[in-house]
Amino acid sequence: MMINRDKTFKTALFICAAASALATLLIFGFLLVFGLPLFKGGQFFLLLGRPWAPGQGMYGFLPMIAGTAAISLLSLVVAFPISLGVSFFLHSLAPAALGKILKRLVQFMTGVPTVIYGFIGVFLLVPLIREMFENGSGMCVLSASLMLGLLISPTMILFFSDGFAAVDKKYIQAARALGATRVQTLLFVVLPNAWRGLMTGLIMALGRAMGDTLIALMIAGNAVNVPSSLLDPARTLTSHIALVSAADYHSMEFKSIFACGVTLYLLNAAAVIAIRRFGAVGKDKAHV
Amino acid sequence: MDNSIIKITDLHFSYNGLKVLKGVTHSFEKNTLTAITGPSGKGKSTFLTTLNRLWEDVPGAALQGCVELKIAEKWRDVYASSMDIAALRRMVGMVFQIPNPLPMSIFRNMAFPLKLAGVKEKDQVQAKVQEALERAFLWDEVKDRLHSSALELSGGQQQRLCIARALILEPMVLLFDEPTSSLDYQAAGMIEDLLVSLKESCTVLMVSHYLDQVSRIADSRLELADGKLLLSNISR
Amino acid sequence: MSEKALKWTDRAVVVFAWSSAIILICALFLLIGSLLKNGWQTLGLDLIFGNAPPLDAILLKRRVFGGLFPAIAGTLLLVVLSVSLAVPIGVCAGVYMSEYASAGLRRILGLCFDILAGVPSIVVGLFGFSGAIILHRIFDGFRPCLAVSAASLAILVLPYLVRTTQTSMQGISPGLRITALALGASKMQNIVYVLLPRSMSGILSGIVLAIGRCAEDTAVIMLTGVVATAGVPGSLFGQYEALPFYIYYISSQYTDQAELMTGYGASIILLCVCLALFLIALGVRKGLSHQVFYRI
Repeated sequence: MMINRDKTFKTALFICAAASALATLLIFGFLLVFGLPLFKGGQFFLLLGRPWAPGQGMYGFLPMIAGTAAISLLSLVVAFPISLGVSFFLHSLAPAALGKILKRLVQFMTGVPTVIYGFIGVFLLVPLIREMFENGSGMCVLSASLMLGLLISPTMILFFSDGFAAVDKKYIQAARALGATRVQTLLFVVLPNAWRGLMTGLIMALGRAMGDTLIALMIAGNAVNVPSSLLDPARTLTSHIALVSAADYHSMEFKSIFACGVTLYLLNAAAVIAIRRFGAVGKDKAHV
Repeated sequence: MDNSIIKITDLHFSYNGLKVLKGVTHSFEKNTLTAITGPSGKGKSTFLTTLNRLWEDVPGAALQGCVELKIAEKWRDVYASSMDIAALRRMVGMVFQIPNPLPMSIFRNMAFPLKLAGVKEKDQVQAKVQEALERAFLWDEVKDRLHSSALELSGGQQQRLCIARALILEPMVLLFDEPTSSLDYQAAGMIEDLLVSLKESCTVLMVSHYLDQVSRIADSRLELADGKLLLSNISR
Repeated sequence: MSEKALKWTDRAVVVFAWSSAIILICALFLLIGSLLKNGWQTLGLDLIFGNAPPLDAILLKRRVFGGLFPAIAGTLLLVVLSVSLAVPIGVCAGVYMSEYASAGLRRILGLCFDILAGVPSIVVGLFGFSGAIILHRIFDGFRPCLAVSAASLAILVLPYLVRTTQTSMQGISPGLRITALALGASKMQNIVYVLLPRSMSGILSGIVLAIGRCAEDTAVIMLTGVVATAGVPGSLFGQYEALPFYIYYISSQYTDQAELMTGYGASIILLCVCLALFLIALGVRKGLSHQVFYRI
């Protein structure tokens, strides 16, 4: 009887695990099926490079790809130096108490709702940008990238810090014993040995930036064209999905959002696989 | 008359490709205390776990050979597919080098194996807990604080608790993996006395590093060297 | 490098690190400060209940207009539903991953969970939305609703629950692992009586974080049935309001100063909820006595 119960228990657990894993595939399957007409005959790849002009029957999402690329890459440019600096600070320069508090703050920041970043973006950052550049509405690539940079910094900092912390203490001791300063140890011993943590942090942060909806939706302006300057409005793949509310489920316009979904799914899957290849550091500590 | 209770025939054991036992054959007699000695890291503890099949939870290990146990005057193959592992481990108890009380009260630690075996009657549990603690010379020290955490006990007390916890199942065989090496000499002395007293009801196998300890309490000594068990004399 | 150059690099790095830290702290406090500065006056019972007496509103005797009560109730219900869907499945899957899965299976399932964790929430929302379309074809009149949102959010947080359970169980020392086995416990008894209670604090903090994600997510629900006005949710198959969506909605559609102020108020409430959950998660990790969860 005991053995029987054990078997049932194991089977039940397996079903849960399999069902959860199945969800991953199911999501992809649904996106494919609903966007099917767009994928037939390799049209998908044509769409990637075409402009969006529903009036003329063109449903390319080049503008959205450009928008996502511009905003997420720029946000990395904003977040990377700050994150690197903060993780330097946390690793070896901060006074103990301050470091502890800052680390907690950073952990807390990963949990701040993105809608709040967006809300403050609308009422604080956008007017500021508008006045500074006296150009357009202030809803633009720059505003979204700045806010998004703030959103992804904590993620990056935590991964960087984990990467630094994973460097063998023996090396640090050896460097210190040879008379290296804290900064020298950091630059010449810790940093070169923490590249995995750095890569993982960068990719995770990029994934979070690409996948975020609310900030771009609320403060990037959502115009469907390829942005040509920092002050141009832009629409990301995620906000495109959020904005389409086609009543007709059979329209091509409606189907195009599934193509956006597939693109996002594949980009993120690629990021995940890349991280697994690197042998992620502290993957599970990302949140708290 | 054959007085043996454990019979091991041509036992081979490897761990991640490393051969630990290379054809061990031996039988252990009832109500004796056998010490197993030998260089560290050569599989003495692993040898103990072949008797209660505890090694099976370690990935990368493989076993060949025959281990038999005389249960109710009948020889039974420990590795037969009909053998209930949980029942086997109740008959062949084990105590480890580092005391491992579970993070719960003293009483709950004691009652835990009974719970696993499905014993529910409260009076019976109470009585068995007291009896086992008395046999482990621990009752007087803990009877007033049965419901405080087992982790508050001293190292020696914790180890006696672990022995009592193994005794509560009334095992035929008790395996000890260096039971005193994490304790100071006073606590160790108490455990030694306890081990000798256990011979009355069980067959005791003990891995030990200390030859003086072996000469004080063991009936026979087996030296594990080069994957074989050799009967060695005890210098007294 | 000359000694002088080294000294200057040293200084430059110190300045760089300090200023990064200061910039980050300032940005965070600017964020929170601007919320509080603009919104603190609105905090009060009126913000939540509008003109209705609080007790009547809570007992659903009176419908609340101009207050956040329906949105808070919606978010609360949503969180309860999705977490109670996700926790049993996620924890069981995590236990399987840690205790039963073979190395090969663990790799494959692990990859699935990693990918699932990386799927943007708007895509999960789109999945829920397409599910609703399929259900609409089968049952006439079915549309995106509270149940769809809850199911989608459950999928969103599932990989976190699996991971936290798996890691905290795998972190248990080998010594503790075999203690109960040596006493004759079956594998299941070992898991239920020893390993699960031992990893409870890790699992609980995972659950608390999952609650946080369900409470703050906007992208999933905006595709699966949340609306700006629906009142207190009355059925699993009806539309509903939620706090984060309300904030999003107000930021683009506010008509007067009072509405905008309610938006600030809602943001403060949501931020406080997230702060509280964060503190609980920390507390659970640190101070939890495992003994609380041993029941014999």
